[in-house]
Amino acid sequence: MAKRILICGVGALGSTCVYFIRNVEAELRLVDFDRVESKNLSAQWFVKQSVGKNKAEAVRLQLANFFGTSAGKQGAEAMGVRLATTNVAQLLAGCDLAVDCFDNADSRNVLSEGARAANVPLLHGALAADGTVGLVRWDERFTADKEDVEGQATCEGGEHLPMIGLVGATLARSIQDFLKSGDRNDYLVSLSGSVQTS
Amino acid sequence: MTILNITYQGRSADYHLDLDHATGDADIRRIAVEVVRSGGVRGLHLPNLPMSTFNTFVVDRLRAPNGEQRIYLRPKVPFGCQLRV
Repeated sequence: MAKRILICGVGALGSTCVYFIRNVEAELRLVDFDRVESKNLSAQWFVKQSVGKNKAEAVRLQLANFFGTSAGKQGAEAMGVRLATTNVAQLLAGCDLAVDCFDNADSRNVLSEGARAANVPLLHGALAADGTVGLVRWDERFTADKEDVEGQATCEGGEHLPMIGLVGATLARSIQDFLKSGDRNDYLVSLSGSVQTS
Repeated sequence: MTILNITYQGRSADYHLDLDHATGDADIRRIAVEVVRSGGVRGLHLPNLPMSTFNTFVVDRLRAPNGEQRIYLRPKVPFGCQLRV
């Protein structure tokens, strides 16, 4: 039976990660309530034709249009909702792995609590505001960092796109390793490379 | 022996030091400033680094895959998803 992966947040990091796991033997369940804006095109994996669409649906359509029905090997489904305590169990239902690409500690914590309750392995991806460092870390060793200032800016104008690519690719590698062998590898990603930390 | 890894301005480097793994976060931040100023951290020699540089940094204590005890000093990583303007 095919594996199912829940991807939470398909903005900069989430959409990039999906691009890099499009060949895994799994069905992707994409969650994001937000819509694609033209300003997103410089830092997130969206094309001009996706502007105005829900981000989860836009990623699903791009996978289907660019790579055919084999995208994610078993396809993808879009959930255009905000993950919350009221629906986290439903969104995690039937999933073999969850991936956190949210941009705030509150959502990360809701997902962590839901995944622990449902006994679903959870992998976090996270990025510094200045785009100089990122983390890929499994839930048992992860604590969500709060923003220094609420609404702190990041990813402006695609300035941090290279780091987003590095962290997205490292997330994809850790997902591949987990699906292949069950290994839960953590990484610290800086501009000098990715270092396995656990 | 503990390895202190410092990540600053996109660069990341190790520093070996005789330190209790449970040393407090404030001490870790202070030691990090001193070793970076002194040139002890390869690739991270900043003689005029302000003492407050690492005040908002996060201290992680992890065991590496090879069993080493490691302390990571790094910037916060709160983001992943949306463009925040």
